[in-house]
Amino acid sequence: MSTINFANREINFKIVYYGPGLSGKTTNLKWIYGKIPEGRKGEMVSLATEDERTLFFDFLPLDLGEVKGFKTRFHLYTVPGQVFYNASRKLILRGVDGIVFVADSAPGRLRANAESMRNMRENLAEYGLKVEDLPVVLQVNKRDLPDALPVEMVQAVVDPEKRFPVFEAVATEGKGVFETLKEVSRLVLARVGST
Amino acid sequence: MVEPSLVLYGALYERAMEVLEETLRETGARYGLLIDRKGFVLAHKEALWAPKPPPLDSLATLVAGNAAATQALAKLLGEVRFQELVHQGERMGLYVDEAGEHALLLLVFDENAPLGKVKLYGKRAAEALARLAEEALANPPKLSLDTQYREEAKALLDELFGN
Ligand SMILES: Nc1nc2c(ncn2[C@@H]2O[C@H](COP(=O)(O)OP(=O)(O)OP(=O)(O)O)[C@@H](O)[C@H]2O)c(=O)[nH]1
Ligand SMILES: [Mg+2]
Repeated sequence: MSTINFANREINFKIVYYGPGLSGKTTNLKWIYGKIPEGRKGEMVSLATEDERTLFFDFLPLDLGEVKGFKTRFHLYTVPGQVFYNASRKLILRGVDGIVFVADSAPGRLRANAESMRNMRENLAEYGLKVEDLPVVLQVNKRDLPDALPVEMVQAVVDPEKRFPVFEAVATEGKGVFETLKEVSRLVLARVGST
Repeated sequence: MVEPSLVLYGALYERAMEVLEETLRETGARYGLLIDRKGFVLAHKEALWAPKPPPLDSLATLVAGNAAATQALAKLLGEVRFQELVHQGERMGLYVDEAGEHALLLLVFDENAPLGKVKLYGKRAAEALARLAEEALANPPKLSLDTQYREEAKALLDELFGN
């Protein structure tokens, strides 16, 4: 549920980047941070280990601007993908409005993609949420890998019912990064006032 | 449990601001924030004499994350909750307390604010704010954001993220 601050006339949305370890979630946020002009973004906060693996979360606030007198903002978060950080991952999902699931195209990560999606379902269930009830966008990242699996194959393990919009990406080069963010933002906004 | 939207406005918001203001006055703290559990700022007040605060978004997010982790730790140990949280450096300190189930109170203070007062008035403020939050949740506002909002927002998405 979005947070609305009538006093300051703000409406805020929380978008979480989820997915297996090393799939490129933090890379998405870094690219976005680098491209959004000053004045439309806040500080990026990264709680990471020394080897740059996300430990708790990354955080990046974005200002969409003023819509009908309401300052509209998105708070982007990434979760730590490594399996043993599940306790932290669960905390980040609290109050989520939309999800980008970043899958890895590497052949050796097919199973990790599937397990991460299952884990996300379980964690959402603890908040009484179903994946089906939330705007979710699937980003199939690392399309530049020479042995990248076909998109359909990745999709088949994380979203066999083909429910979520799919975007191919090379996050290190920014390919597909904004397309993904824009779609999830659009879906999140589409739910405003309709509940 | 789906996270309810905690919305403070009108009279409730004014009262929350009064609580924060009074707490700053009594404790000598610099900044007082009411934050929801997701890390969004619901209300904030700065002492007139205080220098510009650090980015409030970052403060709120880290405090909410920290509080969530602390609560999870308490649960692991079979506790319902831990007491308020105090961090103290050489010059600056933080006081964080639960303002009920859905919000957090954050006070940022410096070496001139006596810790005893911060704790005493912090606890009182947290209780008062918890009651306000309860009231706010019991009376959610009718949201009148309509299709026009969505259309305008979409145009801004194009502008910010490109076509
Ligand atoms: N070849 C290639 N490498 C990528 C791509 N995106 C990210 N990487 C690399 O993959 C590694 C991991 O990226 P991160 O963004 O840190 O991954 P993460 O999903 O945040 O990982 P955790 O924090 O552990 O969950 C880094 O070395 C990135 O440079 C991509 O599109 N192609
Ligand atoms: Mg990361």
